[in-house]
Amino acid sequence: MSVFLEVEQIDKVFSLPGGGNYIALKGVELTVRQGEFVSLIGHSGCGKSTLLNIVAGLDRPSTGRVALAGRPVLGPGPDRMVVFQNYSLLPWLTVRENIALAVDEVYTDKSKKEREEIVRSHIQLVGLTPAADKKPAQLSGGMKQRVAIARALSIRPELLLLDEPFGALDALTRGNLQEQLMRICEETGATCMMVTHDVDEALLLSDRIVMLTNGPQSRIGQILEVPFERPRTRLEVVNHPNYYSLRSEMLYFLGQQKRIKQLRSRQKGPIARHGLEKVNLEVGYLPLTACAPLVVAKEKGFFNRHGLEEVTLVREPSWRAVVDGVAGGYIDAAQMPAGMPLWFTLGGHEDKPLPVVTSLTLSRNGNAVTLGKKFLDLGVFSQADLKAYLQRTARDRHTFGLVHPASMHNLLLRHWLATGGIHPDRDVDLTTLPPAQMIANLKVGNIDGFCIGEPWNIRAAAEGIGFTVATDLEIWPGHPGKVLGVREDWAQTYPNTHLALIKALIQACLYCAEEANAEEIRGLLCRDEYLGADPAYVQLGEGESNTCALGKDRLQYAHHLFAGAGVNRPSRTEQLWILTQMARWGDVPFPRNWVEVIERVCRVQAFSTASRELGLEVDYRRGPIRLADGTPFDADDPLGYLKALEIKSDVYIAEVPLPASLAAR
Amino acid sequence: MTTTLEGRRQSPVQQLVAALPDAKSLQKLAAPVVAIGVFLLLWQLLTLSPDATLPGPAKVVSETWGLIVDPFFRGSGTNQGLFWQIAASLQRVALGFSLAAAVGIVVGILIGANALIYSALDPLFQVLRTIPPLAWLPISLAAIQQSEPAAIFVIFITAIWPVIINTAVGVQQIPQDYNNVARVLQLSRPKYFFKVLLPAALPYIFTGLKIGIGLSWLAIVAAEMLIGGVGIGFFIWDAYNSAKVSEIVLALVYVGLVGLLLDKLVGFIGRLVAPTER
Repeated sequence: MSVFLEVEQIDKVFSLPGGGNYIALKGVELTVRQGEFVSLIGHSGCGKSTLLNIVAGLDRPSTGRVALAGRPVLGPGPDRMVVFQNYSLLPWLTVRENIALAVDEVYTDKSKKEREEIVRSHIQLVGLTPAADKKPAQLSGGMKQRVAIARALSIRPELLLLDEPFGALDALTRGNLQEQLMRICEETGATCMMVTHDVDEALLLSDRIVMLTNGPQSRIGQILEVPFERPRTRLEVVNHPNYYSLRSEMLYFLGQQKRIKQLRSRQKGPIARHGLEKVNLEVGYLPLTACAPLVVAKEKGFFNRHGLEEVTLVREPSWRAVVDGVAGGYIDAAQMPAGMPLWFTLGGHEDKPLPVVTSLTLSRNGNAVTLGKKFLDLGVFSQADLKAYLQRTARDRHTFGLVHPASMHNLLLRHWLATGGIHPDRDVDLTTLPPAQMIANLKVGNIDGFCIGEPWNIRAAAEGIGFTVATDLEIWPGHPGKVLGVREDWAQTYPNTHLALIKALIQACLYCAEEANAEEIRGLLCRDEYLGADPAYVQLGEGESNTCALGKDRLQYAHHLFAGAGVNRPSRTEQLWILTQMARWGDVPFPRNWVEVIERVCRVQAFSTASRELGLEVDYRRGPIRLADGTPFDADDPLGYLKALEIKSDVYIAEVPLPASLAAR
Repeated sequence: MTTTLEGRRQSPVQQLVAALPDAKSLQKLAAPVVAIGVFLLLWQLLTLSPDATLPGPAKVVSETWGLIVDPFFRGSGTNQGLFWQIAASLQRVALGFSLAAAVGIVVGILIGANALIYSALDPLFQVLRTIPPLAWLPISLAAIQQSEPAAIFVIFITAIWPVIINTAVGVQQIPQDYNNVARVLQLSRPKYFFKVLLPAALPYIFTGLKIGIGLSWLAIVAAEMLIGGVGIGFFIWDAYNSAKVSEIVLALVYVGLVGLLLDKLVGFIGRLVAPTER
């Protein structure tokens, strides 16, 4: 279908009464196809109604252009009829007269009788024949909105614009009207653009959902395709397997907009003190056992000891939020999955290479693969069992949850599956979910299993929802789990701050590694502001060392390693292995300039300086990587390694041009 | 009171409760009657003293009984029954007020529809509107030099300001929603005027008319005192000159009642033409 409505580079600037300007919309670009239903969603004041009014021609854009079927929109007209938020019926006219006002004005070439027939049929269309001669004051809100819809449809607009049409109605009426509107739109094939703040309404009605960022300077943040078949029914839509992931995608976006607003309002300029360029830091983390070093550094005063007096730990709901925070510059530093700095640097986020560096590994181990309870009953205890099961039930969909494409869990799970001869992209489906939603999804059967950091595996076992089928010890013992990541430009702007941050966290890691502190740390971690978890689910290096009581062989628990020989030092070899895995699964190309990429990401120098200043011995030994399956990894020949792998996606090799670093400029 | 089947089934208490609103409305009716009674009584008491300069209510009624019973009396010159006096005044008001309403609504719509003209003229109107009606009389006499048209001009100039100002505000206050509907439908100008602008502004216009008619009535009584001729204003002045205080009092009662009726009349028409429910 061809492009019907074009919105090109719209800016809208309002001049404020006290002088100055408010930029409501900035660079909005959108195309709508004929017959498409598009929703605009965003928080109040994001300019979605302004955008609708601009398309309607009621408002003029400051710059940019709107065109309908190739004709530029210069003013309002009946070809772009609007259903207003507050109905906008003329109270002195009856239902019939209100609709007739529109019909008579538009169909001037038709006879009086024909026009009357159009009015009558549209009153019937919305089921208001008995109320045709009533005035709006005698109608309920739902009936008024039906009149407004009938009035809009009666003149067969090329584009129907709806401004929060059901916002003021009670839930029952809203539901009915949504279905009526959907039916009418499907019957008439109308092209529609609707402003709403109701995510379910948007999912039910739309083909695409356009999400706007918060103002000022609102722009289109994301466009969501809604793949549900038409004609739709509410029940089919709600039960569609993609419904909840689309819904949570929207909620994530909206939640993120709110958070950005909060962070923005909190953001002050850098406060320099004690020879540090910036002591007010926002450090992002996810509530996992592995975040212990950050919590300890904050609570036990290691940040303060190194002059970082105003560190705020920002608890993020998902790795994606961390990505947005780092890319948007809302957080200074973050606990990241070991692969994330590389993933950023190679353009994993929106295909824009953003150099992110790591100079400290915060934790190793602490991950496991959990399968749902039904696999326990089926006796699936190994990859071979799983493969046999998958072949038996080849027609079903098998889904595994992971937290982020750049996380070690993704790479470890894929490696574990591939070791067992299961192709992670062809034989199963992998889906990204926030850690906190894994257990709920496993419980209701949306996923068959997941690979994730603690405490979620222990918790799944303790609650009897799933069981641990493999831990790090069965995949790659001692692999890097979480690292400290900062943007390269940040590290170059605040070098001393970066060093102080590394020093504080090294000391915190050492503190975490002391067995004697385990109980105290467990108490800190389980506080509501951090994990808010039952202490029984948080295992540190002590006590019960089996993962769960379920399963054939009680697997040994892969305890988190926070410090020790070579634990904290960032390793180029490890990063290279991660790079080969990302390339193996087609997430990123294998960069021809891989040496440069690894050098750029993995900053051993900063770690060495920090350790030396703390008076610590640095272990520079580079051992080869030993994975549990015994595959050797030769850091000198990553391409040879990739070639030798049997199960892989299409690996492609390309030069990845990295943005020039600040220092080089 | 008729007792229905339902009524019989009700207990006495329920019946009492059901009857309560009636008692309340009765009370509502009785209250002003009592207040008037008390007022008349006080008035009578205060004027009992032989030195009293004003007559009591009883004396007023007895002294003006002739006027009360024969309002339609026809004499010569200004010696006319009270009905004719009031009718003459009302005639002037009708003429002046109609002119004011017609001109005021048109001007009000014009300036209400144009923000620039409105901001230019509004301060002027605000000043002119505060000028007391009688202050217009000398200048209107000087300009027109005839007492009858001068009086009508005073009515006109007094009543026009609230009509203009309220109409203009009414036009400005047309909800943006209605204007948006008109813009999207690209309504023709006459259609916009009759289907949107006029109905939307009507409640405001009638508020202006109500204030205007009250002011007109105030102005005519005062103006007639000065210009003479048949009319309730001159009747009062004449009575004062002949020291017939009771007649003044009677005339005042009539002036008050007619003013009230005029106000109610305009309000009633307003409700007929522009229902306030939205």
